Amino acid sequence: MLEGFGPILRKDLRLELRSGESTVALVSLSVLILVVMVLAFGPGGARRAEIAAGALWIALIFAGTLGAAQALLAERESGCIRGLLLSPVEPATIYAAKLTVSMIFMAEAGFAVLIMLVLFFNLEFGGGLLRLVPIFALGMLGLAALCTLLATVSGRVRAGAMLLPVLVVPLFTPALIAGSKASAAVLAGQPLGAVTTWLKLLFAFDVLFVTAGYLLFEHVILED
Amino acid sequence: MKRPASIVLAVASCLSMLGALFMVFVYVPTEADQGIVQRIFYFHLPCAWVAFLAFGMVAVAGALYLWLGHKIWDDLSYAAAELGMLFCTLVLITGSIWAKPIWGTWWTWDSRLTTTFILWLLYGGYLLLRAFADDTDEIARFAAVLGIVGVLDVPVVIISVRLWRTIHPAVLLTRQGEHGLQDPRMVATLLVSLGAFTILYVWLLWMRLTTLRLRTRLAGLRREAAILELVGAHR
Repeated sequence: MLEGFGPILRKDLRLELRSGESTVALVSLSVLILVVMVLAFGPGGARRAEIAAGALWIALIFAGTLGAAQALLAERESGCIRGLLLSPVEPATIYAAKLTVSMIFMAEAGFAVLIMLVLFFNLEFGGGLLRLVPIFALGMLGLAALCTLLATVSGRVRAGAMLLPVLVVPLFTPALIAGSKASAAVLAGQPLGAVTTWLKLLFAFDVLFVTAGYLLFEHVILED
Repeated sequence: MKRPASIVLAVASCLSMLGALFMVFVYVPTEADQGIVQRIFYFHLPCAWVAFLAFGMVAVAGALYLWLGHKIWDDLSYAAAELGMLFCTLVLITGSIWAKPIWGTWWTWDSRLTTTFILWLLYGGYLLLRAFADDTDEIARFAAVLGIVGVLDVPVVIISVRLWRTIHPAVLLTRQGEHGLQDPRMVATLLVSLGAFTILYVWLLWMRLTTLRLRTRLAGLRREAAILELVGAHR
């Protein structure tokens, strides 16, 4: 079913290992977003957990959208996408591979953001941070699922790269609400058991949009 | 293209809208608690109904386009998205006008308001895509996928935002299981108004679809003419 998944994944990762473009761009962008948030709201105060959680998700959304677009844009730039489409690989498999690549890029940026978050907001390295990981991973999966499906818009439409966040962010709002609420609770010291409702919602969101992306991808990737 | 249907729809729309206006301003009794401002509800709810209907149509027509591949479904989903956006804007405006005297504020982040606003943003993005992009099959397929994903998102948005917060009055079904419209005249007015707005929607949709069909045909004729010219130049 997923024949060709491995080669595409390996190709993209090798490309990234040699150039490092996406990692550098994503990590620096997401860290910069954090810096902007700290400068705008201040690092301390009573609502520290909420602001830290908000900063985390803002960094994820904007860096993630660009990162996922990058994973597909690389294919378009040199016309590789034609070769990929001509090869005996199902479009759905291309989707799965690209989704995985986007997840890996986002995870790198997410890791950097988490570490900077602790430093900037004077949080503790420890349980609270570990509990953040599943919430963050579920959020990233949902975002990557949406972005990978819709990223073909950049390159096809004037100002497409700008249009992508405009399309993705409203779609992502349910996961954003769930993710930032859960993160704020966890950063304030609550256990994961207190946020199961939000986790379930994030999970449902992921299942819905990964399935939708898997089924619908062939319609957006094909060219005229 | 098909004149009679358009005229029938126009006349039906005018008459039903006049009837609805008469009922809203003359026939229906003033609500005891909220006073005169409650009458805007008879426009507010039908607009919301039409907006949801239109957005549903965007997805259904989009799915049919992906399945059957005929351009008419793409034109239909585009026309429905434009009208959905129009009525969604009206919902937000009429809601604000009502909320100012009743809640004392133009806007709050209540669940239904937030949901409607997110919907508005979603379809705003959809229309931006249509506005920026050229009219190609690629874009038509992309728009269809976006419309389907948008409708899939609606229930998740509703659930997430409801968990987040709500203060919107439950007019149609309160928690005690009775609806909030006590007087039968209120129910009658609401039904007439719903009918009037639905007919108005169908009429506007028809006109917009006719225009888009003509545009598609014109583009086809232009292509044909260009090809003929090329062939002529070679001879």
